[in-house]
Amino acid sequence: MAKKVLVAEDERNVILGVRTCLDAVGYDIEIVEDGDEALNSVRKEHPDLILLDLLMPKVDGFEVLKQLKGDEQTSHIPIIVLTAKAEEESRQRAIDLGADSYMTKPFKPQELWDLLKHYLPDAL
Amino acid sequence: MSNSRVPVNLDTIANNLSDAVFLVECNKTVAWINQKAEELFNTSSAKAKGSLLTELTGITKLDSLLNDVFEQEEELKCSYEEASVKVKRQDQRYFFKIAINPVFHEGELWGGLVQFTDVTRFHEMEKIKTDFVSIVSHEFRTPLTTIIVGVEMLKEGMLGDLTPRGKEVLEAIGADCERLSRLIDNLMELSRIESGTIYVEAEPTDVTDLVQEAVRPLKFQSEKQGIELITDLPPNLPPVAADFNKAVWVLTNLVGNAMRYTDPGGTITVRIRQHGKRLFFSVQDTGTGIPKEQQEKIFRKYVQVSGDGRKGGGGVGLGLAIAKDIVMAHGGEIWVDSEVGKGTTFTFTFPVYQENKSVALPEGDQEVDQEGG
Repeated sequence: MAKKVLVAEDERNVILGVRTCLDAVGYDIEIVEDGDEALNSVRKEHPDLILLDLLMPKVDGFEVLKQLKGDEQTSHIPIIVLTAKAEEESRQRAIDLGADSYMTKPFKPQELWDLLKHYLPDAL
Repeated sequence: MSNSRVPVNLDTIANNLSDAVFLVECNKTVAWINQKAEELFNTSSAKAKGSLLTELTGITKLDSLLNDVFEQEEELKCSYEEASVKVKRQDQRYFFKIAINPVFHEGELWGGLVQFTDVTRFHEMEKIKTDFVSIVSHEFRTPLTTIIVGVEMLKEGMLGDLTPRGKEVLEAIGADCERLSRLIDNLMELSRIESGTIYVEAEPTDVTDLVQEAVRPLKFQSEKQGIELITDLPPNLPPVAADFNKAVWVLTNLVGNAMRYTDPGGTITVRIRQHGKRLFFSVQDTGTGIPKEQQEKIFRKYVQVSGDGRKGGGGVGLGLAIAKDIVMAHGGEIWVDSEVGKGTTFTFTFPVYQENKSVALPEGDQEVDQEGG
């Protein structure tokens, strides 16, 4: 069964890019466009991995990280932060909150695939 | 002053200066302060008299700054101006630039005149600039993501077949996107360095670690390009006084540059040599070389070497400017030796780490709380 990846991202064009990337390698994708939806979806759908933007409406990515990594029901799910925030402080804050990986935009499909393969080794 | 034509005395002048001024004796105790200094540190000239300047201000760094002025071996004429402090007072934060000038009496060193100039407004402007660059960078990164992901997928034929010309065009778009990405990274880095939000924290740094960390991410790329990457480090090199990440950045940048201008089959050598209290780091390539007339300006911002464009299309003209800023902030130097057709050697120096010897940094970051007032 294909692994389920939740993509939390509010930019439509980036969503298209990420979706195209993930479709190409056969993941099952769920897309949410704000942090609130992300939290709900994780609790309902139990994804195998989360790609998380930091700047999102309603609840931002830092808060999503904090809640999911602070909850033992969800803390095991790998979270890869995909963000345009390149400042070292943001990276450090995300890692401190429990992010498994931090990738700054822009990135290449191969970099994303490599990361996914690392966290979901038996996926494909 | 009384017999002068100017109808004010020295006190009036001193008390109307916008700078806080302290007259300090050689034992670092305060002899006199002006009104601005009284206000700033919530004291009176009478109370301040006889107390240590460091105790009065709470700024311990002043001790070493005074030493620097008082203990100079050569002619005493230098002032020390490369420090700023934050003073938090009544919930306001101020930044000051400090200058210390030696004061002589009958030909002998008597003490020093310490001046605090308010540079808070300047810091605010710098902050606005940094924030602006950060926002712009963010706004560029998001659309670039869409472009780069799309181009890569199209290029690899994952979204359908391409004509050879179509592929060529996409290759060009991809390369230019990478240039844009690098430009954004460099702009951010430069802005942060200039605004002083990144402090150069000089710590004892092992140079073998430094070189390994700098070269590691480039190994794969150099193998792919068919360029031999050699490190030449004699054993038992002493640690340097350097900010590890910044130093790695400089070295990685220089090696990355060298790779862009070196053909397959070429060699890049990273070499370290000790001369007295300095280590000389050099990055030597067998690349295209830099014409004489361009050598002197390549460390300026937004200047890049115009070559034949074979592989040079990566530079945005900021890397070397940033490298220079970083090296100079460590009290080092950077220069280039090059001959067209033979290759280029970039050399920079870092001071050997010495205990109890602080490096003069452009920005201090000591914060002092001044409550009340």
